[in-house]
Amino acid sequence: MAIGPRTLLYVLRRLAQAVPIILSIVLLNFLLLQLAPGDAATVLAGEAGGAPPEYMALLRERFGLDRPMHVQLLLYLKNVLTLDLGYSFRNSMPVIELILGRLGPTLLLMGATLLVSVFGGVLLGLLAATAVNTWRDRAISVAAVIAYATPLFWIGLMLILLFSIKLEWLPTTGMEDVVAFNEGWTRVVDIARHLILPTITLSLFYMALYTRMMRAAMLDQRGMDYVVTARSKGLAEHLITRRHVLRNAVLPVVTMAGVQVGSLLGGSVVVESVFAWPGLGQLAFQSLFARDFNLLLGIFFLSACLVVAVNLVVDLVYLALDPRITVG
Amino acid sequence: MSRSTMFSRSLAAALLAAALCAAPELALAQKRGGTLVQITQPEPPTLASYLSTSGPIGQVTAKVYDGLLEYGFDMKPQPSLAESWTVSPDGKTVTFTLRRDVKFHDGKPFTSADVQFTIMEALKKVHPRGINTFKEVTAVETPNAQTAIFKLANAAPYMMAALSGFESPMIPKHIYGTGDIRSHESANKPVGTGPFKFVEWRRGELVRLDRNPDYWRSGQPYLDRIVVRFNPDSATRTALLERGDAHVAGFGAVPYNDVKRLAALPSIEVTTKGYEMISPVVEVLFNTKRPPFDNVKVRQAVSYAVNRKFAIANIWFGFGKPATGAISSNFKASGLYTDDVRNYNVPNAVEMANKLLDEAGFPRKADGTRFEIVHDITPYGEEWQRFGEAVQQQLAQVGIKATLRYEDVPTWLKRTYTDYDFFLTSNFLYNLADPVLGVHRAFHSALIKQGTVFVNGSRWSSPQTDELMNKAALEPDAVKRGALYAQLQKLTAEAAPIVWVQELLFPTVLNRRYKDVIVSPLGIYGPFNRAWLDN
Repeated sequence: MAIGPRTLLYVLRRLAQAVPIILSIVLLNFLLLQLAPGDAATVLAGEAGGAPPEYMALLRERFGLDRPMHVQLLLYLKNVLTLDLGYSFRNSMPVIELILGRLGPTLLLMGATLLVSVFGGVLLGLLAATAVNTWRDRAISVAAVIAYATPLFWIGLMLILLFSIKLEWLPTTGMEDVVAFNEGWTRVVDIARHLILPTITLSLFYMALYTRMMRAAMLDQRGMDYVVTARSKGLAEHLITRRHVLRNAVLPVVTMAGVQVGSLLGGSVVVESVFAWPGLGQLAFQSLFARDFNLLLGIFFLSACLVVAVNLVVDLVYLALDPRITVG
Repeated sequence: MSRSTMFSRSLAAALLAAALCAAPELALAQKRGGTLVQITQPEPPTLASYLSTSGPIGQVTAKVYDGLLEYGFDMKPQPSLAESWTVSPDGKTVTFTLRRDVKFHDGKPFTSADVQFTIMEALKKVHPRGINTFKEVTAVETPNAQTAIFKLANAAPYMMAALSGFESPMIPKHIYGTGDIRSHESANKPVGTGPFKFVEWRRGELVRLDRNPDYWRSGQPYLDRIVVRFNPDSATRTALLERGDAHVAGFGAVPYNDVKRLAALPSIEVTTKGYEMISPVVEVLFNTKRPPFDNVKVRQAVSYAVNRKFAIANIWFGFGKPATGAISSNFKASGLYTDDVRNYNVPNAVEMANKLLDEAGFPRKADGTRFEIVHDITPYGEEWQRFGEAVQQQLAQVGIKATLRYEDVPTWLKRTYTDYDFFLTSNFLYNLADPVLGVHRAFHSALIKQGTVFVNGSRWSSPQTDELMNKAALEPDAVKRGALYAQLQKLTAEAAPIVWVQELLFPTVLNRRYKDVIVSPLGIYGPFNRAWLDN
């Protein structure tokens, strides 16, 4: 793929298209949130164990809840355009700071999961398809179905039970050791150790998906004409697999992975809860029950941006993988 | 005897005497050092305890901020930042003499100006309970840096019970005095005078509190560090305690069935002490303006039908005590509690309930039911769902058909306290340090405020009980107060606007290696200055 001017124009065009898409997503989210009964002031007072009416009125005024909805919406849209995502009154912090603080761990977990699930899925799918209908294929297929069907939180808890409590090989929960307060390289290793179980838990589901998809795609490609031609040319089987079939079969997996990035954020709520991983999933979950609309809208906005960006990246990856695809 | 021998003998005697004087310190054997890991659930939304009374906040901030007073298990005030105090005979002037040489964590001195600022500009204006606790305070005079004089419009004896570092933290004027206290940049970076300094808050993970080397109690605190951890999943919280990776957990952080299991381990101790100044009471709330619960006999019948012993034994795994009325038996020590009221916890309770319902004009129809209602379950967690189901079954026994409804917290709060769109719901309210602070709000007519949560949601009141409460709030004499509250408890138990089910006993799970952790009725809401690790 040549990064010519056409590709660049394509990217710019896609980015320009992204702006109205994201704004309409924000609008939709705002309207959806208004449907939820109860407001942030009620929740805050509830958490406070009760509050006098003067306090509740104070809160409502602070949050701007006493203003009409369309005014609130217009103010919010205006702020979003200047990347001012507002203030979370419940957390006494600007929303952007809250989100950026939690973004690191989320990206770490999501990135690790993406790598493990895609590579694992491709490899297992490959192994299954090249030994189709043997015990190896059947074993992998059954394992994939089980991993797909088992609930994430159960897998997580069982892994903790086995590896942390019984075997004591890995830490129980959290992102790092809370007593040692490591610095530098020790900290990196510590975080990596804590990352193992959450990544495995979250990847199993997606790995199962990509395994089955890869296997089906490979079997599909095997029957194609170009494979027959290559075989009749005298090319070795493993070379056919590696050089030709693999690259074609990977395309649907890449598509799926791109689509799943959005759901990775949601699936991480469960894993973040079980492993006390300080990510955005937990933040979104808590802010929903706290009716912290500013924070929720901020997180939704970020997710929308992320999904749009990832879709663009996936399309560019296609260009790299498949020379038949061109822009424009 | 030669002079030198006499001299050396006297010296030896003097040294021995000095050693003996020092011995009591050594005999206590507290060791310096160690990190305590506390589990707090859920994670607090902020650390601004002057602005919010959300439960988990105090579990962190009580170690960072001090109050004017502390309290022992006898509920009597003890000196903290205030060395001594006097109350005028009419109760309208309270003079506090403050401790000298107390510094905030940033090195600046603590003076009466900070007390004046905290009370008048912070707690009185923006603290959810402070607005009521300090409403009689018209001014705090500061004739010098060591004296703070509270001037009150009317006597407020309940105020003296609400001056702990948890309830009314003394915050520095030189930090919070500039800027808007409601959205201050230092809201989540508390600076106080307490035994532990705030170091960092990694959201979603932990709060780190390091030892304050300049704490005004020399030699304390004994611990090097306290780390407060946040874990959303209850199974992993239990695992941490089991492994000894966490050492303190209270306020329901550990599910009750796991508490029983952990208590059997040799490394763990479980105690129910440390909640006497909170005194949570589980209640079932009626909507007294909606038939059939506008009829006192129907309410009394339901109060008989709810089986308190069953709930305590089966839902709360034994952690509870049947409640007799609105005021918790923890107030027995201060003479404000009485059990000389109508007793709903009798062996023939079901019979009594049936009789009352018949008398109220709700006979059983052909299918056995008298009437139908909807019961809103408290959305706080597992045991509340079980409790809702148990109540449903117990009501069915006396012919009341209850359909269960379960919503999330904000929806439930709006339905109950804003829309008043309910028949029956359950909840638990803190009595707090004095009945004025926690009990009056449940049935005073002035606290029927639509849109405000955890106040008079049943909308019941009577001129008689209002007057009793108004008098008791101002009465400085403890015996007279006791008599007024006895009357109040009798009348409210009879009118039954609320079914008082049980006094909750929260279990606190402790690692046995850590000593002197729960040492006051505030428990985990205490400063932990005396806690130490026995290695």
